Amino acid sequence: MTKKWGEQMRSWLTKSLNLPEDVMMDLPRITMIGQLHIYIENHRGLLAFSDKEVRLMLTKGQLLIKGQSFTIKTILPEEILIEGKIEKLVYLDG
Amino acid sequence: MNNQWLAFFQGIIFVKVEGQGAERFINRLIRSRVPIWQVSRQSEQAITFSCSLQHIHKVRREARTFEGEIRFYRGEGFPFLLKRLWKSSGFVVGLVAFFVVILLLSNIVWRIDIGGASPKMEHQIRKELASMGVEKGRFIFGMDDPETIQHKLLNQIEGLTWIGVEVKGSTFHFRVVEKNEPKEKKKNGPQHLVAAKEAVVVKLFVKKGQATVKRDQFVHKGQLLVSGFIGTEEKVREVAADGEVLGETWYKTTVEMPITTEFQVLTGRQVKKHMFEVQAFRFPIWGFKSHSFANYKKDEQVHSVSFVGMKLPINYVEKTYYESRRTSRSYTEKEAEQQALAIARGDLESKLPEKAEIRGQKILQRQFTNGKVKLSIHFQVLENIAVGKPITQGDKENARRKERNEHPARKSE
Repeated sequence: MTKKWGEQMRSWLTKSLNLPEDVMMDLPRITMIGQLHIYIENHRGLLAFSDKEVRLMLTKGQLLIKGQSFTIKTILPEEILIEGKIEKLVYLDG
Repeated sequence: MNNQWLAFFQGIIFVKVEGQGAERFINRLIRSRVPIWQVSRQSEQAITFSCSLQHIHKVRREARTFEGEIRFYRGEGFPFLLKRLWKSSGFVVGLVAFFVVILLLSNIVWRIDIGGASPKMEHQIRKELASMGVEKGRFIFGMDDPETIQHKLLNQIEGLTWIGVEVKGSTFHFRVVEKNEPKEKKKNGPQHLVAAKEAVVVKLFVKKGQATVKRDQFVHKGQLLVSGFIGTEEKVREVAADGEVLGETWYKTTVEMPITTEFQVLTGRQVKKHMFEVQAFRFPIWGFKSHSFANYKKDEQVHSVSFVGMKLPINYVEKTYYESRRTSRSYTEKEAEQQALAIARGDLESKLPEKAEIRGQKILQRQFTNGKVKLSIHFQVLENIAVGKPITQGDKENARRKERNEHPARKSE
Protein backbone atom coordinates (compact mmCIF):
# COMPACT_ATOMS: atom_id res chain seq x y z
CA MET A 1 0.00 0.00 0.00
CA THR A 2 2.74 2.43 1.03
CA LYS A 3 4.91 1.34 -1.88
CA LYS A 4 2.18 2.00 -4.33
CA TRP A 5 1.50 5.37 -2.80
CA GLY A 6 5.16 6.22 -3.00
CA GLU A 7 5.31 5.23 -6.63
CA GLN A 8 2.29 7.33 -7.47
CA MET A 9 3.84 10.22 -5.66
CA ARG A 10 7.06 9.86 -7.61
CA SER A 11 5.22 9.56 -10.91
CA TRP A 12 3.28 12.73 -10.11
CA LEU A 13 6.43 14.54 -9.15
CA THR A 14 8.23 13.67 -12.35
CA LYS A 15 5.31 14.78 -14.42
CA SER A 16 4.73 18.02 -12.64
CA LEU A 17 8.39 18.96 -12.21
CA ASN A 18 9.43 17.72 -15.64
CA LEU A 19 12.17 15.47 -14.29
CA PRO A 20 13.72 12.61 -16.29
CA GLU A 21 11.82 9.43 -15.61
CA ASP A 22 14.80 7.10 -15.58
CA VAL A 23 16.26 8.94 -12.64
CA MET A 24 13.08 9.29 -10.69
CA MET A 25 11.48 5.95 -11.36
CA ASP A 26 14.48 3.65 -11.69
CA LEU A 27 13.67 2.74 -15.27
CA PRO A 28 16.19 1.61 -17.86
CA ARG A 29 17.43 4.16 -20.36
CA ILE A 30 18.06 2.50 -23.68
CA THR A 31 20.05 4.09 -26.44
CA MET A 32 20.27 2.41 -29.80
CA ILE A 33 22.42 3.34 -32.72
CA GLY A 34 20.69 1.84 -35.71
CA GLN A 35 20.94 -1.89 -35.42
CA LEU A 36 24.61 -1.80 -34.47
CA HIS A 37 24.75 -0.83 -30.84
CA ILE A 38 22.45 -0.92 -27.90
CA TYR A 39 23.35 0.85 -24.72
CA ILE A 40 21.32 0.12 -21.63
CA GLU A 41 21.67 2.03 -18.38
CA ASN A 42 20.12 0.99 -15.14
CA HIS A 43 20.00 -2.75 -15.69
CA ARG A 44 20.11 -5.13 -12.79
CA GLY A 45 22.23 -7.91 -14.14
CA LEU A 46 22.79 -10.35 -16.98
CA LEU A 47 20.46 -13.32 -17.03
CA ALA A 48 21.39 -15.06 -20.26
CA PHE A 49 23.84 -14.32 -22.97
CA SER A 50 24.46 -15.92 -26.31
CA ASP A 51 25.30 -14.55 -29.74
CA LYS A 52 21.62 -14.48 -30.69
CA GLU A 53 19.95 -13.45 -27.46
CA VAL A 54 20.65 -11.32 -24.41
CA ARG A 55 18.37 -11.29 -21.41
CA LEU A 56 18.78 -8.54 -18.89
CA MET A 57 17.25 -8.17 -15.46
CA LEU A 58 15.53 -4.83 -14.83
CA THR A 59 14.10 -3.34 -11.68
CA LYS A 60 10.74 -4.50 -12.87
CA GLY A 61 10.65 -7.36 -15.29
CA GLN A 62 13.22 -8.32 -17.90
CA LEU A 63 14.48 -7.09 -21.24
CA LEU A 64 15.05 -9.52 -24.07
CA ILE A 65 17.22 -8.48 -26.99
CA LYS A 66 17.29 -10.66 -30.06
CA GLY A 67 19.55 -10.44 -33.01
CA GLN A 68 22.75 -11.86 -34.41
CA SER A 69 26.41 -12.12 -33.46
CA PHE A 70 26.19 -10.33 -30.17
CA THR A 71 29.19 -9.39 -28.12
CA ILE A 72 29.11 -7.33 -24.96
CA LYS A 73 31.57 -4.52 -25.51
CA THR A 74 31.47 -3.33 -21.95
CA ILE A 75 29.55 -4.34 -18.92
CA LEU A 76 29.57 -2.27 -15.76
CA PRO A 77 27.40 -2.56 -12.63
CA GLU A 78 24.60 -0.48 -14.17
CA GLU A 79 25.52 -0.11 -17.80
CA ILE A 80 25.87 -2.48 -20.69
CA LEU A 81 26.90 -1.91 -24.27
CA ILE A 82 26.04 -4.64 -26.74
CA GLU A 83 27.29 -4.81 -30.27
CA GLY A 84 25.87 -6.92 -33.07
CA LYS A 85 22.84 -6.89 -35.28
CA ILE A 86 19.82 -6.06 -33.17
CA GLU A 87 16.49 -7.25 -34.48
CA LYS A 88 14.03 -7.27 -31.59
CA LEU A 89 13.61 -5.71 -28.23
CA VAL A 90 11.03 -7.30 -25.95
CA TYR A 91 9.94 -6.34 -22.42
CA LEU A 92 8.95 -9.33 -20.34
CA ASP A 93 6.84 -8.54 -17.33
CA GLY A 94 7.97 -10.38 -14.29
CA MET B 1 33.72 4.14 -20.45
CA ASN B 2 37.16 3.17 -19.37
CA ASN B 3 40.00 4.54 -21.35
CA GLN B 4 41.38 1.84 -23.59
CA TRP B 5 44.86 3.26 -23.41
CA LEU B 6 44.85 3.31 -19.67
CA ALA B 7 43.68 -0.28 -19.76
CA PHE B 8 46.52 -1.13 -22.11
CA PHE B 9 49.04 0.26 -19.67
CA GLN B 10 47.49 -1.52 -16.76
CA GLY B 11 47.28 -4.73 -18.73
CA ILE B 12 44.35 -6.65 -20.09
CA ILE B 13 43.60 -10.30 -19.34
CA PHE B 14 41.46 -12.59 -21.43
CA VAL B 15 39.34 -15.04 -19.45
CA LYS B 16 37.52 -18.12 -20.60
CA VAL B 17 34.61 -19.33 -18.49
CA GLU B 18 33.35 -22.84 -19.02
CA GLY B 19 30.37 -24.38 -17.35
CA GLN B 20 26.78 -23.66 -16.54
CA GLY B 21 25.81 -20.24 -15.38
CA ALA B 22 28.62 -18.23 -16.91
CA GLU B 23 26.22 -15.25 -16.87
CA ARG B 24 25.92 -15.53 -13.13
CA PHE B 25 29.65 -15.39 -12.84
CA ILE B 26 29.70 -12.20 -14.90
CA ASN B 27 26.93 -10.73 -12.78
CA ARG B 28 28.89 -11.44 -9.67
CA LEU B 29 31.94 -9.79 -11.17
CA ILE B 30 30.14 -6.63 -12.14
CA ARG B 31 28.54 -6.48 -8.73
CA SER B 32 32.02 -6.45 -7.23
CA ARG B 33 32.71 -3.52 -9.59
CA VAL B 34 34.91 -5.17 -12.19
CA PRO B 35 34.43 -3.60 -15.61
CA ILE B 36 34.26 -6.28 -18.27
CA TRP B 37 34.77 -5.93 -21.98
CA GLN B 38 34.37 -8.04 -25.07
CA VAL B 39 32.03 -10.70 -23.75
CA SER B 40 31.23 -13.25 -26.41
CA ARG B 41 29.89 -16.74 -26.41
CA GLN B 42 32.21 -19.33 -27.81
CA SER B 43 29.98 -22.36 -27.48
CA GLU B 44 27.02 -23.57 -25.47
CA GLN B 45 29.18 -23.90 -22.44
CA ALA B 46 31.89 -21.33 -22.85
CA ILE B 47 32.09 -17.55 -22.66
CA THR B 48 35.16 -15.41 -23.07
CA PHE B 49 35.68 -11.91 -21.79
CA SER B 50 38.46 -9.56 -20.94
CA CYS B 51 39.08 -7.31 -18.00
CA SER B 52 41.82 -5.22 -16.50
CA LEU B 53 44.80 -6.94 -14.95
CA GLN B 54 44.38 -5.03 -11.72
CA HIS B 55 41.11 -6.87 -11.07
CA ILE B 56 42.60 -10.33 -11.43
CA HIS B 57 42.39 -10.93 -7.69
CA LYS B 58 38.66 -10.16 -7.65
CA VAL B 59 38.15 -12.51 -10.59
CA ARG B 60 40.07 -15.24 -8.75
CA ARG B 61 38.05 -14.70 -5.58
CA GLU B 62 34.79 -15.05 -7.48
CA ALA B 63 36.14 -18.04 -9.33
CA ARG B 64 36.54 -19.93 -6.06
CA THR B 65 32.83 -20.19 -5.57
CA PHE B 66 32.09 -20.88 -9.21
CA GLU B 67 31.41 -24.45 -10.18
CA GLY B 68 32.70 -24.23 -13.74
CA GLU B 69 36.19 -23.83 -15.00
CA ILE B 70 37.97 -20.53 -15.46
CA ARG B 71 41.10 -19.96 -17.44
CA PHE B 72 43.19 -16.91 -18.08
CA TYR B 73 44.31 -17.68 -21.56
CA ARG B 74 45.94 -14.52 -22.77
CA GLY B 75 47.43 -11.30 -21.54
CA GLU B 76 47.90 -8.08 -23.40
CA GLY B 77 49.31 -4.71 -22.62
CA PHE B 78 52.27 -3.15 -21.05
CA PRO B 79 52.92 -5.46 -18.07
CA PHE B 80 52.89 -8.46 -20.36
CA LEU B 81 55.17 -6.75 -22.82
CA LEU B 82 57.54 -6.06 -19.97
CA LYS B 83 57.37 -9.64 -18.89
CA ARG B 84 58.16 -10.82 -22.37
CA LEU B 85 60.98 -8.34 -22.58
CA TRP B 86 62.30 -9.60 -19.26
CA LYS B 87 62.14 -13.14 -20.52
CA SER B 88 64.25 -12.21 -23.50
CA SER B 89 66.35 -9.82 -21.46
CA GLY B 90 69.50 -11.66 -22.41
CA PHE B 91 68.93 -10.62 -25.95
CA VAL B 92 68.26 -7.01 -25.03
CA VAL B 93 71.29 -6.86 -22.77
CA GLY B 94 73.36 -8.37 -25.55
CA LEU B 95 72.10 -5.77 -28.00
CA VAL B 96 72.92 -2.89 -25.67
CA ALA B 97 76.27 -4.40 -24.79
CA PHE B 98 77.06 -4.80 -28.46
CA PHE B 99 76.47 -1.12 -29.15
CA VAL B 100 78.35 -0.07 -26.05
CA VAL B 101 81.32 -2.21 -27.03
CA ILE B 102 81.29 -0.94 -30.60
CA LEU B 103 81.03 2.62 -29.32
CA LEU B 104 83.95 2.13 -26.97
CA LEU B 105 86.06 0.41 -29.59
CA SER B 106 85.31 3.17 -32.10
CA ASN B 107 86.79 5.66 -29.70
CA ILE B 108 90.02 3.87 -29.10
CA VAL B 109 93.18 4.55 -31.01
CA TRP B 110 93.87 1.50 -33.11
CA ARG B 111 96.67 2.67 -35.27
CA ILE B 112 99.15 5.47 -35.48
CA ASP B 113 100.50 6.01 -38.95
CA ILE B 114 103.54 8.15 -39.37
CA GLY B 115 104.52 8.89 -42.91
CA GLY B 116 107.45 10.71 -44.38
CA ALA B 117 109.73 10.42 -41.38
CA SER B 118 113.05 8.72 -41.03
CA PRO B 119 113.08 5.75 -38.65
CA LYS B 120 114.84 7.80 -36.03
CA MET B 121 112.38 10.64 -36.32
CA GLU B 122 109.48 8.22 -36.25
CA HIS B 123 110.74 6.68 -33.05
CA GLN B 124 111.11 10.09 -31.52
CA ILE B 125 107.61 11.09 -32.56
CA ARG B 126 106.16 7.89 -31.14
CA LYS B 127 107.94 8.48 -27.87
CA GLU B 128 106.68 12.02 -27.70
CA LEU B 129 103.15 10.89 -28.53
CA ALA B 130 103.28 8.26 -25.82
CA SER B 131 104.23 10.86 -23.28
CA MET B 132 101.27 12.92 -24.45
CA GLY B 133 98.98 9.92 -23.99
CA VAL B 134 98.47 9.22 -27.65
CA GLU B 135 99.08 5.52 -27.82
CA LYS B 136 97.53 2.43 -29.25
CA GLY B 137 94.62 1.24 -27.14
CA ARG B 138 93.94 4.54 -25.40
CA PHE B 139 90.65 6.42 -25.47
CA ILE B 140 90.43 9.34 -27.84
CA PHE B 141 88.28 11.25 -25.34
CA GLY B 142 91.10 12.11 -23.06
CA MET B 143 93.41 13.28 -25.79
CA ASP B 144 94.14 16.71 -27.07
CA ASP B 145 92.64 17.71 -30.35
CA PRO B 146 94.80 17.29 -33.46
CA GLU B 147 95.82 20.93 -33.55
CA THR B 148 97.16 20.86 -30.03
CA ILE B 149 99.02 17.65 -30.74
CA GLN B 150 100.50 19.27 -33.80
CA HIS B 151 101.64 22.30 -31.83
CA LYS B 152 103.13 20.21 -29.08
CA LEU B 153 105.00 17.98 -31.49
CA LEU B 154 106.36 20.93 -33.38
CA ASN B 155 107.52 22.51 -30.16
CA GLN B 156 109.00 19.40 -28.62
CA ILE B 157 110.77 17.77 -31.51
CA GLU B 158 113.76 19.41 -33.06
CA GLY B 159 114.24 19.02 -36.75
CA LEU B 160 110.57 18.95 -37.50
CA THR B 161 109.46 21.52 -40.02
CA TRP B 162 105.85 20.62 -40.27
CA ILE B 163 103.62 17.80 -39.15
CA GLY B 164 100.13 17.15 -40.37
CA VAL B 165 97.86 15.49 -37.86
CA GLU B 166 94.66 13.90 -38.96
CA VAL B 167 92.30 11.68 -37.05
CA LYS B 168 90.35 9.31 -39.24
CA GLY B 169 88.01 7.21 -37.16
CA SER B 170 90.30 5.34 -34.83
CA THR B 171 93.53 5.99 -36.70
CA PHE B 172 95.94 8.84 -36.29
CA HIS B 173 97.74 9.86 -39.43
CA PHE B 174 100.86 11.93 -39.16
CA ARG B 175 102.55 13.39 -42.15
CA VAL B 176 105.98 14.59 -41.37
CA VAL B 177 108.21 17.05 -43.15
CA GLU B 178 111.69 17.01 -41.71
CA LYS B 179 114.00 19.91 -41.67
CA ASN B 180 116.58 19.40 -44.33
CA GLU B 181 120.03 20.09 -43.07
CA PRO B 182 121.45 22.82 -45.20
CA LYS B 183 123.31 21.14 -48.00
CA GLU B 184 126.40 22.46 -49.64
CA LYS B 185 125.56 25.75 -51.15
CA LYS B 186 124.73 25.50 -54.76
CA LYS B 187 127.46 26.75 -56.95
CA ASN B 188 126.27 30.15 -57.81
CA GLY B 189 126.81 31.69 -61.15
CA PRO B 190 129.16 34.61 -61.30
CA GLN B 191 128.04 37.30 -58.93
CA HIS B 192 128.97 40.45 -57.12
CA LEU B 193 128.30 41.21 -53.52
CA VAL B 194 126.41 44.44 -52.96
CA ALA B 195 125.24 46.25 -49.86
CA ALA B 196 121.77 45.36 -48.61
CA LYS B 197 121.37 48.62 -46.76
CA GLU B 198 123.15 51.74 -45.74
CA ALA B 199 125.97 50.96 -43.40
CA VAL B 200 129.48 51.66 -42.34
CA VAL B 201 131.79 48.79 -43.23
CA VAL B 202 133.40 47.38 -40.12
CA LYS B 203 134.94 44.20 -41.29
CA LEU B 204 135.57 42.64 -44.67
CA PHE B 205 135.90 38.95 -44.97
CA VAL B 206 136.28 38.00 -48.59
CA LYS B 207 136.56 34.41 -49.63
CA LYS B 208 136.37 35.01 -53.31
CA GLY B 209 136.36 38.09 -55.39
CA GLN B 210 137.87 41.48 -55.16
CA ALA B 211 136.93 43.90 -52.42
CA THR B 212 136.01 47.32 -53.68
CA VAL B 213 135.37 48.99 -50.34
CA LYS B 214 137.52 49.61 -47.31
CA ARG B 215 136.98 49.54 -43.58
CA ASP B 216 135.06 52.44 -42.05
CA GLN B 217 133.72 53.35 -45.45
CA PHE B 218 130.11 54.41 -45.69
CA VAL B 219 128.18 52.46 -48.28
CA HIS B 220 124.78 53.08 -49.82
CA LYS B 221 122.22 50.47 -50.51
CA GLY B 222 123.12 48.53 -53.63
CA GLN B 223 126.71 49.68 -53.70
CA LEU B 224 129.25 47.17 -54.93
CA LEU B 225 131.19 45.62 -52.06
CA VAL B 226 132.99 42.68 -53.55
CA SER B 227 133.43 42.45 -57.29
CA GLY B 228 133.10 39.15 -59.09
CA PHE B 229 135.75 40.12 -61.65
CA ILE B 230 139.21 38.97 -60.87
CA GLY B 231 142.44 38.86 -62.78
CA THR B 232 144.16 41.72 -64.36
CA GLU B 233 144.21 43.56 -67.60
CA GLU B 234 143.02 41.53 -70.53
CA LYS B 235 142.42 38.36 -68.64
CA VAL B 236 139.38 39.11 -66.61
CA ARG B 237 137.64 36.14 -65.07
CA GLU B 238 134.22 36.04 -63.58
CA VAL B 239 133.74 34.31 -60.27
CA ALA B 240 130.98 34.04 -57.74
CA ALA B 241 132.09 36.55 -55.18
CA ASP B 242 131.73 35.13 -51.74
CA GLY B 243 132.32 36.45 -48.29
CA GLU B 244 130.94 38.50 -45.47
CA VAL B 245 130.91 42.18 -45.11
CA LEU B 246 130.04 43.20 -41.59
CA GLY B 247 128.61 46.63 -41.46
CA GLU B 248 127.21 48.80 -38.78
CA THR B 249 123.62 49.62 -39.43
CA TRP B 250 121.12 51.73 -37.55
CA TYR B 251 117.63 51.12 -36.43
CA LYS B 252 115.33 53.57 -34.79
CA THR B 253 112.41 52.23 -32.86
CA THR B 254 109.81 53.67 -30.57
CA VAL B 255 108.20 51.73 -27.75
CA GLU B 256 105.30 52.60 -25.58
CA MET B 257 104.55 50.79 -22.36
CA PRO B 258 102.10 51.42 -19.54
CA ILE B 259 103.79 51.87 -16.17
CA THR B 260 101.15 49.91 -14.31
CA THR B 261 99.75 46.77 -15.89
CA GLU B 262 96.88 44.70 -14.66
CA PHE B 263 96.83 41.07 -15.44
CA GLN B 264 95.35 37.85 -14.22
CA VAL B 265 97.22 35.02 -12.61
CA LEU B 266 95.86 31.56 -11.94
CA THR B 267 95.71 30.50 -8.34
CA GLY B 268 95.91 26.81 -9.17
CA ARG B 269 92.46 25.92 -7.97
CA GLN B 270 90.29 24.37 -10.64
CA VAL B 271 86.95 22.64 -11.14
CA LYS B 272 86.37 20.13 -13.89
CA LYS B 273 83.05 19.28 -15.47
CA HIS B 274 82.24 16.52 -17.88
CA MET B 275 79.18 16.50 -20.03
CA PHE B 276 77.61 15.12 -23.15
CA GLU B 277 76.43 17.50 -25.76
CA VAL B 278 73.62 16.67 -28.15
CA GLN B 279 73.18 19.58 -30.49
CA ALA B 280 72.36 22.49 -28.21
CA PHE B 281 71.65 20.44 -25.11
CA ARG B 282 74.26 19.49 -22.60
CA PHE B 283 73.87 16.72 -20.10
CA PRO B 284 76.31 16.87 -17.25
CA ILE B 285 77.63 13.45 -16.33
CA TRP B 286 80.23 14.37 -13.79
CA GLY B 287 81.19 17.43 -11.82
CA PHE B 288 77.87 18.90 -10.71
CA LYS B 289 79.38 21.26 -8.21
CA SER B 290 79.29 24.83 -9.36
CA HIS B 291 82.55 26.63 -9.03
CA SER B 292 82.60 29.48 -6.55
CA PHE B 293 85.33 31.48 -8.20
CA ALA B 294 84.85 35.19 -8.50
CA ASN B 295 87.32 35.43 -11.33
CA TYR B 296 88.02 32.49 -13.51
CA LYS B 297 89.20 31.33 -16.85
CA LYS B 298 87.24 28.75 -18.73
CA ASP B 299 88.79 26.09 -20.85
CA GLU B 300 86.56 23.93 -22.95
CA GLN B 301 87.56 20.83 -24.82
CA VAL B 302 85.12 19.18 -27.16
CA HIS B 303 85.72 15.62 -28.24
CA SER B 304 83.43 14.17 -30.84
CA VAL B 305 82.14 10.66 -30.36
CA SER B 306 82.36 8.45 -33.38
CA PHE B 307 80.64 5.21 -34.12
CA VAL B 308 82.24 2.84 -36.63
CA GLY B 309 84.00 5.72 -38.30
CA MET B 310 80.91 7.92 -38.40
CA LYS B 311 80.71 11.00 -36.29
CA LEU B 312 77.75 10.86 -33.97
CA PRO B 313 75.90 14.09 -33.25
CA ILE B 314 77.11 13.70 -29.70
CA ASN B 315 80.10 15.44 -28.26
CA TYR B 316 81.92 14.79 -25.07
CA VAL B 317 82.74 18.09 -23.46
CA GLU B 318 85.29 18.67 -20.78
CA LYS B 319 85.12 22.05 -19.08
CA THR B 320 87.73 23.30 -16.73
CA TYR B 321 87.37 26.42 -14.65
CA TYR B 322 90.60 27.85 -13.35
CA GLU B 323 90.40 30.32 -10.56
CA SER B 324 92.26 33.49 -11.36
CA ARG B 325 93.28 36.53 -9.42
CA ARG B 326 93.85 40.04 -10.59
CA THR B 327 97.18 41.51 -9.80
CA SER B 328 98.73 44.67 -10.90
CA ARG B 329 102.34 45.44 -11.48
CA SER B 330 103.75 48.89 -11.42
CA TYR B 331 107.19 50.11 -12.20
CA THR B 332 109.07 53.13 -11.16
CA GLU B 333 110.05 55.37 -14.01
CA LYS B 334 113.50 53.96 -14.07
CA GLU B 335 112.32 50.38 -14.11
CA ALA B 336 109.73 51.15 -16.75
CA GLU B 337 112.38 52.62 -18.93
CA GLN B 338 114.53 49.55 -18.57
CA GLN B 339 111.63 47.26 -19.30
CA ALA B 340 110.66 49.22 -22.38
CA LEU B 341 114.23 49.11 -23.53
CA ALA B 342 114.39 45.37 -23.03
CA ILE B 343 111.18 44.94 -24.98
CA ALA B 344 112.44 47.05 -27.84
CA ARG B 345 115.68 45.13 -27.86
CA GLY B 346 113.94 41.80 -27.87
CA ASP B 347 111.71 42.99 -30.65
CA LEU B 348 114.60 44.03 -32.77
CA GLU B 349 116.55 40.85 -32.09
CA SER B 350 113.67 38.75 -33.26
CA LYS B 351 113.63 40.69 -36.52
CA LEU B 352 117.35 40.54 -37.17
CA PRO B 353 119.14 37.54 -38.63
CA GLU B 354 120.73 35.22 -36.13
CA LYS B 355 124.29 36.36 -36.60
CA ALA B 356 123.53 40.02 -36.18
CA GLU B 357 124.66 41.62 -32.99
CA ILE B 358 123.37 44.72 -31.29
CA ARG B 359 126.38 46.80 -30.52
CA GLY B 360 124.93 49.75 -28.80
CA GLN B 361 121.82 51.67 -28.03
CA LYS B 362 120.95 55.16 -27.25
CA ILE B 363 117.75 56.57 -25.95
CA LEU B 364 116.94 59.55 -28.06
CA GLN B 365 113.78 60.62 -26.35
CA ARG B 366 111.82 59.64 -23.29
CA GLN B 367 108.37 60.75 -22.31
CA PHE B 368 106.25 59.93 -19.32
CA THR B 369 102.67 60.77 -20.04
CA ASN B 370 99.29 59.35 -19.00
CA GLY B 371 100.91 56.60 -16.98
CA LYS B 372 102.88 55.48 -19.99
CA VAL B 373 106.48 55.57 -20.88
CA LYS B 374 107.37 56.33 -24.44
CA LEU B 375 110.90 55.82 -25.68
CA SER B 376 112.50 56.28 -29.00
CA ILE B 377 115.73 54.36 -29.23
CA HIS B 378 118.56 54.25 -31.65
CA PHE B 379 120.29 50.91 -32.05
CA GLN B 380 123.58 50.18 -33.64
CA VAL B 381 123.70 46.75 -35.12
CA LEU B 382 126.53 44.77 -36.57
CA GLU B 383 125.36 42.55 -39.35
CA ASN B 384 126.26 41.05 -42.64
CA ILE B 385 125.22 43.48 -45.30
CA ALA B 386 126.51 41.58 -48.31
CA VAL B 387 124.01 40.13 -50.73
CA GLY B 388 124.72 38.39 -53.98
CA LYS B 389 123.92 40.02 -57.28
CA PRO B 390 124.37 37.98 -60.44
CA ILE B 391 126.64 39.45 -63.09
CA THR B 392 124.76 40.12 -66.27
CA GLN B 393 126.08 40.46 -69.74
CA GLY B 394 125.79 44.21 -69.60
CA ASP B 395 127.86 44.34 -66.47
CA LYS B 396 130.66 42.52 -68.16
CA GLU B 397 130.77 44.90 -71.07
CA ASN B 398 130.81 47.82 -68.70
CA ALA B 399 133.55 46.27 -66.67
CA ARG B 400 135.71 45.71 -69.66
CA ARG B 401 135.30 49.20 -70.81
CA LYS B 402 136.07 50.43 -67.37
CA GLU B 403 139.19 48.32 -67.13
CA ARG B 404 140.49 49.67 -70.39
CA ASN B 405 139.74 53.24 -69.47
CA GLU B 406 141.28 52.93 -66.09
CA HIS B 407 144.29 51.03 -67.28
CA PRO B 408 146.28 53.93 -68.66
CA ALA B 409 145.35 56.04 -65.69
CA ARG B 410 146.77 53.57 -63.30
CA LYS B 411 149.91 53.28 -65.31
CA SER B 412 150.51 56.97 -65.13
CA GLU B 413 150.48 56.85 -61.34
